[in-house]
Amino acid sequence: MKETLENLFLQVQKPARYTGGELHSVTKDLRDVDVRFAFCFPDLYEVGMSHLGMKILYAQFNNEPDIWCERVFAPAEDMEALMREHGVPLFGLESRDPIKDFDFIGFTLQYEMSYTAVLHMLDLARVPLRSDQRDEQHPLVVAGGPCACNPEPLADFVDLFFLGEGEEVDLEVIRLYQEHKRRGYSKQAFLRACAAIEGVYVPSLYDVSYNPDGTVAAVTPKDGAPETVRKRIIKDLDACYYPDYFVVPYTDIVHDRAMSEIFRGCIRGCRFCQAGFIYRPVREKSVDTIDRQSHALCQSTGYEEFSLSSLSTSDYTQLEPLLNRLLAWAEPEHTNISLPSLRVDGFSDELVNKLNVLRRAGLTFAPEAGTQRLRDAINKNLTEEEILDTAAKAFRGGWTAVKLYFMMGLPTETMEDIEGIAQLGQKVVNAFYNNPDKPKGKGVTVSVSASCFVPKPFTPFQWEPQDTKAQLQEKQQHLVESVHTKKISLSWHDSATSFLEAVLARGDRRLCAVLEEAHRRGFHLDSWSEHFDFDGWMDVFASCGLDPAFYANRRRSYDEVLPWDHLDYGVSKAFLIEENKKAHAAVTTPNCRQACAGCGAACWKEGVCVAKR
Amino acid sequence: MQNVRVIFSKTGRAKYISHLDLARTMTRVMRRAAIPLWYTEGFNRHPYLTFAAPLSLGYEGLQETMDLRLQEEMSGEELVQRLNEAMPEGLSALSAGPAVAKAGELALADYRLTIHCPAQTVQALLAQTEIPVEKRTKKKTTKTIDIKPAFANAGVKEQEGKTVLSVTLPCGSNETINPSLFVSALRTATGEAYGYSVLRLALRKADGSLFR
Ligand code: SF4
Repeated sequence: MKETLENLFLQVQKPARYTGGELHSVTKDLRDVDVRFAFCFPDLYEVGMSHLGMKILYAQFNNEPDIWCERVFAPAEDMEALMREHGVPLFGLESRDPIKDFDFIGFTLQYEMSYTAVLHMLDLARVPLRSDQRDEQHPLVVAGGPCACNPEPLADFVDLFFLGEGEEVDLEVIRLYQEHKRRGYSKQAFLRACAAIEGVYVPSLYDVSYNPDGTVAAVTPKDGAPETVRKRIIKDLDACYYPDYFVVPYTDIVHDRAMSEIFRGCIRGCRFCQAGFIYRPVREKSVDTIDRQSHALCQSTGYEEFSLSSLSTSDYTQLEPLLNRLLAWAEPEHTNISLPSLRVDGFSDELVNKLNVLRRAGLTFAPEAGTQRLRDAINKNLTEEEILDTAAKAFRGGWTAVKLYFMMGLPTETMEDIEGIAQLGQKVVNAFYNNPDKPKGKGVTVSVSASCFVPKPFTPFQWEPQDTKAQLQEKQQHLVESVHTKKISLSWHDSATSFLEAVLARGDRRLCAVLEEAHRRGFHLDSWSEHFDFDGWMDVFASCGLDPAFYANRRRSYDEVLPWDHLDYGVSKAFLIEENKKAHAAVTTPNCRQACAGCGAACWKEGVCVAKR
Repeated sequence: MQNVRVIFSKTGRAKYISHLDLARTMTRVMRRAAIPLWYTEGFNRHPYLTFAAPLSLGYEGLQETMDLRLQEEMSGEELVQRLNEAMPEGLSALSAGPAVAKAGELALADYRLTIHCPAQTVQALLAQTEIPVEKRTKKKTTKTIDIKPAFANAGVKEQEGKTVLSVTLPCGSNETINPSLFVSALRTATGEAYGYSVLRLALRKADGSLFR
């Protein structure tokens, strides 16, 4: 098979996606290895290789002498066709062995639109899709990542889900597996034992019943599984494993740089943002730890750039001291520091200049909504004044391009809010022309990008209907008509894919049949794929007797049993209901540092919940 | 400031590193090895690094060259040692020193082309008076050239059911012939797409002496 592979590599675009052997990729002697883990990212190499979580867990697993973790990505269409033609099953990049012979196949679920790729990859690996079709001869299929907070649409395919942060719980499950293997392994007995570990959800141990109207009646645990499963968090990030190396790819990937995580969670509580709730509470790493880890990574990888990656980087309490510490070695070593999202207002011009803040992406803002009223409703704490002040500062510094990100279809949105998007864009344009020393002969470009709002579980908007396609098209049309200058360029996302995303994000187990049928017909979810076939998808829903609008466009009542209610992310339902009501009254909630809003995440007694205010 | 030419090999899994990706890979190797690279001045500072002859994706090379500029003097032995400590699988530095030949003096390259077909198939093609083949030009059009003269002196040997063709081909700024052209001609002549692999053994000047 290995010679066949070499021949296939020469026939595809970008063979470096499949060849392995990159710097710091880990190979082991099978005689020393007890557990083989296939870490699958259900997307292309260049996307998956950019993902920090995968790098952390890959290094952490391989740090254990008896575990060998390999990387697996979804092959591009050309490679997939060749693999099927030549009978090559999906393989691990390091050993090139088929992953169907591994102990674990693990997926990270970063976005709903990758669910079909999960099924494609299992199929390409020649592993039966459904959990109940796999026995002791097959690998265990596990999954984690943010989408595991509502894993129900994948419940029939995945043996167990990891909820929350994986560093501790993943290893606990692997160690338990080894113990069961030694004693004579039965998959059922093992899964039942796993269900007792905090942060492990075994979907087959729960029966779901439905009301006549299609809503969930009850989720009932069996065989001793707990009523609710609580996510895991890492309590002390300074003591937590962090890799001192990344696999350094040859081919260009999306984020080709070293990354340091500086904290987990987010203090803000923007009501549309799932990440802002499911990663609570905020826990910071110390300046010393970040400095040491960042430098070690840059030295071992040779990366010329590293980024501080966290949800809202500028909320790090020690940001300026941290940057000065990092610059002390980064500058002489010609290493750039990039900050993905940053409020630059508080910084000295000197510091801003040293950083790669504006250089890479230009100036970007995410006001999300066009009017202050709607920004209050979604609890997005960014005022027009702040945007215009920072834009003016950047224009004085010679910048001529600004990007503004918005969402359309937010709860309580009216046409006035849509007009507000155009008006805000216009004000930024005006800020450019009001600058007395604007560069001569240069115009300004304000790019306004509007995505479609997708309501997500564990947010205050989890009960909200998504706008229908017709409503969104009307709003898009209105936005076009509200823009009166060529200086503003408009772009928006396709509402069809956002609709499917909304269905899957808040779906229940009945969607497993939809995904399976869509997979059978060869459908993909990703909008960039030539295969995206909306009408085909609608046909699949119909053939399964389900109405996608039931999941996406229906307002749910507070007392409805939601498909993910038996999962506990620390944030209480009572708090989310409170927040939902405040959104409808356009009342904001202070961030965690200003005042604790009592969301429930204080149950862990960690981070910002116990910090002095 | 010091200009250095490094001779290196690119084999095994490293053959899949494209030419475009090689510069980035090498820059990172040197950064890991803490080699005092010279950086350009200005806003977007980058090190100076060039390769005499790009190696096609999938080919292996035993004596490739890379020219770099160092901020501080460093002996060739030390440079080679430090590079090798930081090289990924399949890349290996062999020697380093001042460039002897100018980049423009590169004219020829020795190749070993292994084709998965019987020797007589190759010999039959070589026996033709002309071997016409379509070649892509820089302007993205194609023209037909005759590669018979370039392959006239090729050595042919059968090995484990495959055919090994040893040949020295033009590889300079004026003229370059990629050994894969022979495989294309073979495909046209026989209708078969034979598998093949290419090893570039050495780079030479027009007089046949090694390009160093
Ligand atoms: S308990 Fe309070 S401080 Fe802690 S995350 Fe929730 S709102 Fe923030």
